[in-house]
Amino acid sequence: MTDQLEIRDLEVSIGSKQILKGLSLTVKVGEVHALMGPNGSGKTSLAYTLMGHPDYRVDAGSVSWRGEDLLNKKMTPDRRAQAGLFLAFQYPSAIPGVTVASFLRNIYNAIHHPKVAAAVASDGAMPKYTGIPLAKFRKLMEEKMALLQMDPAVAARYVNDGFSGGEKKRLEMLQMAILNPTMAILDETDSGLDIDALRAVAEGINATLSPEMGVLMITHYQRILNYVKPQFVHVMLDGRIVMSGGEELSHQLEANGYDWVREQVGLPAGIGDEVSEPVAEHV
Amino acid sequence: MTASAVSALPESLDSNAVARLSRDEPAWLRTLRSSWWRRVEADPWPSSAAEEWRRTKLDDLPRDGALLTDPPRATYEVDSALAEQGVVFTDLASAVREHPDLVQSHLGRRETIIPQGSIWARSLAAWTGGTFLYVPRGVEVDGPLMARTELPAGDYTYLPHTLVVLEPEARVTLLEEISSPDGASTWFGGTAELVVGPGARLRYANLQRLGDGAWRIGAQRTEVGQDADVITLNAEVGSLVSKMGLDLRMSGKGGTSKLLGLLAAGGKQMIDINSCQDLLGSHTTSDLLYLSALYDEAHAAFYGVTRVRPDAKQTSSYQECRNLLLSPKAGAEPIPVLEIETNDILRCGHGATAGAIDPVQRFYAQSRGLSADEAEQMIVRGFFERVVAQIDSEPIKARILDALASRIGYAELDGIAA
Repeated sequence: MTDQLEIRDLEVSIGSKQILKGLSLTVKVGEVHALMGPNGSGKTSLAYTLMGHPDYRVDAGSVSWRGEDLLNKKMTPDRRAQAGLFLAFQYPSAIPGVTVASFLRNIYNAIHHPKVAAAVASDGAMPKYTGIPLAKFRKLMEEKMALLQMDPAVAARYVNDGFSGGEKKRLEMLQMAILNPTMAILDETDSGLDIDALRAVAEGINATLSPEMGVLMITHYQRILNYVKPQFVHVMLDGRIVMSGGEELSHQLEANGYDWVREQVGLPAGIGDEVSEPVAEHV
Repeated sequence: MTASAVSALPESLDSNAVARLSRDEPAWLRTLRSSWWRRVEADPWPSSAAEEWRRTKLDDLPRDGALLTDPPRATYEVDSALAEQGVVFTDLASAVREHPDLVQSHLGRRETIIPQGSIWARSLAAWTGGTFLYVPRGVEVDGPLMARTELPAGDYTYLPHTLVVLEPEARVTLLEEISSPDGASTWFGGTAELVVGPGARLRYANLQRLGDGAWRIGAQRTEVGQDADVITLNAEVGSLVSKMGLDLRMSGKGGTSKLLGLLAAGGKQMIDINSCQDLLGSHTTSDLLYLSALYDEAHAAFYGVTRVRPDAKQTSSYQECRNLLLSPKAGAEPIPVLEIETNDILRCGHGATAGAIDPVQRFYAQSRGLSADEAEQMIVRGFFERVVAQIDSEPIKARILDALASRIGYAELDGIAA
């Protein structure tokens, strides 16, 4: 099997609207790819589709991860997570009443002790808890929180409930650091962050990065790429990848804008630059 | 359930049955029972014409079951130091024998709201069990008191009455838990009267885990004295039908109360609650928060009245009812009513919702490796936390979470961040 996420000619729609129009991309474990594009180009839809959001209908194409067909019905979002995928949400959901610490421990066990998770699901009531020992987990959590320069008090707050934009993004990175995925999709993790928060989040990404992890970093802006260096940069317009290159491409984009890309690939200005993308996410 | 306990009264409840209950009781209690029985005969059976009874029809109530005259007794434990200070915690029948004056001065002295009048009267006429708790002036009971009753199987009628009296400045926490086996057509008509004197503090939790054939038709009357502080919690997990009337009287100036509810229902369960927060005293505060998680074809109805009386100046009150529908066939009907008879209020409001889990929230949890069921369980457990977090007694919280887990499939998130 190949250690890569392979997307071939992917066509995806939501409702009656086609969003992805034949997108191909391969991300190998150990590589960092940046996917750049204007609003409405389909970036978030790609991220949701890769994670198995039920509202996105795949009309054509294929997606495989380490040789396994991700479009198989059995590959529900939880199975994808257990297979090593991770999506950092652009707009993370709040789960009122569930503390960050409890949530983290539960998802850690779901990923790293799936047998425990299965027992919970099948018998319903109070299984014998055999996941990561409490003390060990607490140590892991505190370590990763320190790495992301997070206030330890966050552990006792409810997941994303009343969090600022920056706090939410840091919590996404904390989840990534704790789950230690092999393929991370970061959906505009840099948006809405001030420069200090951006630096902290980027440092967290860098500290989590390893040769055993692939990254697809979705972003509008070049600025996060000053901290997290991609080997590959792709430009997305109107549901397709229209240009790929090395890190220098992000600088060219920053200097010349998306109209320059359109000119290069022979698209009229403004195409693929709709104001909004019909995503299932509600802020 | 022994056969003799039921066969002692093979026919349905009538005046003779009530008289027989009184055979060996003191004269005052015989008189009390018979006067409440006359109320039963005079007061009409709840009619679906009344707003409070429109959603629960009593046509199928198992009314022919014999009266349970020899109910199992809960274990009442209270330490000797408290007993020496005058705390009484026992079953009502024992209290009548051991502390007749105390019981006589409090039992059956007050009416409840009209919709539950006939339920209340039945129980006061024909009670054969229930808890009696008395805490004298200034006495503070530290640990929680628990009265847990496991009822036998059988198609009987059981109408216990609980009486809790807190003298001024007294403090106590009490859990009453009632359970019964599945499959029996039991009529459980338990009522409770909580009398909280000036400056006293009561935490009262009622956990209902009756079997899936049981009808729980109950009433709870709470009177909050001046500057008293009361929280009541009704956790409803069992029964086929549960109809509760909550009668809250904020009679003393400056009193504070919270009425909390946790409802978890599935199958064809119906839970119907009518509440009346009656603000009689000035500067009183009364908040109600009921949360329900409804599975399968379960339904919850909530008819809540807040009444602010003309003399009740500067009061603050709120009623909030949130319903999480976990199946397309589940339903909830929250109906708040505000009757404000003064202009001088600080706050009087309500909030009600009924809806399914946000799919984005579910997807978020699932994308972290939790199965669809686990994600739902976690979200429901989190939904209940607003009430659970207000249970300050750990043993009581554990009992209630254990009961909820039988329905929502999720016990505890281990509390490591507490």
